[in-house]
Amino acid sequence: MGGLLVDEFELRYADYSLSSDQEAVRDAFAEFFRNECPSERVRAAEPLGYDEKLWRQLADMGAASMGLPEQAGGDGASLVDLLLVAEEAGAALAPVPFIEHVAASRALAGSPGAPGELLAEAASGRRILALAMEPAGSRSPQLARQLVPGGAVARAVLALDGEALVVVDADEPPSPVANQGSTPLAWWDLVGGRRQRLAEGTLAEILYRRARAEWKLLTAAALTGLTERALGIAVEFAKTRETMGVPIGSLQGVSFPLADVAIGVSGARNMIRRAGWMLEHEPTEARHLVPAAFAYAARVATHGTTTAAHMQGGLGFTIEADASLYFLRAKGWSLLGGDPAEDLIAVADALAADYQ
Amino acid sequence: MDFGQVQLDAEQQAFLDDVHAFVAEHVTDDVLEEERRTGSGFNERVHLALGAKGWIMPAWPAERGGAGLDPVRVQLLDLVTRRSGMPTVTLGTTRLVVKAVERYAEPGLAADVLPGIAAGTVRCCLGYTEPDGGSDIAAAKTRAVSDGDEWVINGSKIFTTGAQNCQYAFLIARTDPELPKHRGLTMFLIPLGSDGVAIQGIRTFGGERTNIVYYSDVRISDRYRLGGVNDGWTVLRGPLDEEHNFGQKGSAVQIGGSSLGATYVYPLQRALDRALAWACGTTRPDGSRPIDDRSVRYRLGQVAMDLQAGLMTPGPMGRVKASDALVHGAAELMDLVGSAALLSEGSPGAEAAGDIEFAHRFAQGTATYGGTVEIFRQMIAQHVLGLPRPAYPGSKVLVSNKK
Repeated sequence: MGGLLVDEFELRYADYSLSSDQEAVRDAFAEFFRNECPSERVRAAEPLGYDEKLWRQLADMGAASMGLPEQAGGDGASLVDLLLVAEEAGAALAPVPFIEHVAASRALAGSPGAPGELLAEAASGRRILALAMEPAGSRSPQLARQLVPGGAVARAVLALDGEALVVVDADEPPSPVANQGSTPLAWWDLVGGRRQRLAEGTLAEILYRRARAEWKLLTAAALTGLTERALGIAVEFAKTRETMGVPIGSLQGVSFPLADVAIGVSGARNMIRRAGWMLEHEPTEARHLVPAAFAYAARVATHGTTTAAHMQGGLGFTIEADASLYFLRAKGWSLLGGDPAEDLIAVADALAADYQ
Repeated sequence: MDFGQVQLDAEQQAFLDDVHAFVAEHVTDDVLEEERRTGSGFNERVHLALGAKGWIMPAWPAERGGAGLDPVRVQLLDLVTRRSGMPTVTLGTTRLVVKAVERYAEPGLAADVLPGIAAGTVRCCLGYTEPDGGSDIAAAKTRAVSDGDEWVINGSKIFTTGAQNCQYAFLIARTDPELPKHRGLTMFLIPLGSDGVAIQGIRTFGGERTNIVYYSDVRISDRYRLGGVNDGWTVLRGPLDEEHNFGQKGSAVQIGGSSLGATYVYPLQRALDRALAWACGTTRPDGSRPIDDRSVRYRLGQVAMDLQAGLMTPGPMGRVKASDALVHGAAELMDLVGSAALLSEGSPGAEAAGDIEFAHRFAQGTATYGGTVEIFRQMIAQHVLGLPRPAYPGSKVLVSNKK
């Protein structure tokens, strides 16, 4: 049996603690977003969902390159390190294409055919990269044109076309399309555009699947940060808002749903970190962990931001309330990875492989 | 952060082999069958064998009756014995009482009790909940009245699991009804062989046996008092916090799950294992297997996701999540497998060896053990989120005494 249905005699550590270096990374980015990305800045970046100056600042901190190998101009940071950054970016609702760029850049850096100039531009953050979420190409013509997360600010998109990993580039990003999460989405023509082949065959497949798994985990981490911050706002409201002479947070009809959100956040965070660690160290064990972590984080975010907004009553439903920013992005980010039901089916597929 | 397989050195491997050999020798099919039948959470022969190995208090040095195990070995022991299905309920309650005895019992009582606990001849159960009190332990009405250097106990306690196999009950009693609710309580270690103690069994539909214990003019010496008179809440907090996993940091390196409810997840794990085997190994009239059906895979995936969340949600929050995952997951797997899942183990046509059927019944108790999930949600709201505590009329004083 796999890592979920633990073999009675298989002994594994369950050590979720961060190293002091990891804590330093988390704290540095938390401080950066706290100082630089208040909700006014998130609102100012709407509806596109991109703040170029913030992205430049973030790239100057090394966020665009930290996850690349040293020979590609990076710091060789682990996926877990990147998850910590994504969680902080999510908590701040930072209008930057960090996740798309990191997932695509890492696949690019692993490709034998990666053009040196593109890699250098990606490492510096000067050229934003994105990832097509479904395999495209001649075998699936209906997927030749895809809605690409980050696609409205990216000038290069990585895609799987048949047996090749390709990069499609453009001098200017396509026009943004308005969407619920105010995130920079755009339609990309992945077959007809200007393309270069990066990798072939099994390697192309592995690089693409890996990039998509990393995108999902990074998005799951961002959703967890987002949900925890939304919860924090609702908790502060519940501490001070009074009804019938008591703070509403003392009522179990309010406090229990909030406690359930806290339970969901703490579980999602651990599932994501475990899946990220496994993806790096024992990828076959991660087959069911990654989709389970993504589906759980998506559910926790949908439920958590709904609860956080509702616990602020009618006020939480208004555009002025920051709760609205969190609610709209919970679905606006998670659904870009597809219907989470497909991830649950993937969990069962991975588990059933041991019973066939 | 580390989720790798534990690389055991030669000595640790030898220890693990020793634990496996112990389990193979002592946790026999007969023991498991007896546990299924009686649901007592205890087997005296196994318990004494554990004591002989020094494994009841495994971290204690050998001269105290322990085995001097380091934290890694303690966790290996715990993992292998629990997964074997070894009855551990009375072992668990006994260990919870040890710290209070060490800290608060007068030296003579501690010297009498602790060696027996390590050896397995002395077991302890928890006398917290009262028949009309639920999880509000501080509402205890069982009275202890001082009479010279003795105490006279009157009242009743429910869910004193394991009392029929124990020598002592760790009992909370009201010694001053005039003081505020939490301040008029005193803890005792009551010898269950005392005159006036009557133990009456109660069965649950999860298969367990628990008890109601009546105390009628039970006279005990003052030496059985733990801690100061009316200072019982302080004495109780230690074991209670340990049971609830509040106020202490978990060890950085854990083996197995990090959730306080990890043990609740094991029955769901077995049930899901059976359901996967059923889904992959059953042929339907149209020649397809259940696993070929996307809706079946979706439902199995959902149970598996919640199972993982139950294992990985940390500490007291994991206690709630694990119970919820088991309750909902077992019910879902019942529906998935269909009416054959209802059949008891050994019945003709029973699916999944009764494991799903058992999980569905057993699950319901896990929402109550050691404090209900509502108690835990309240603690999470107050201690994790910092929300204000509810202002209930009976939270500081005993309403019934004010009438």
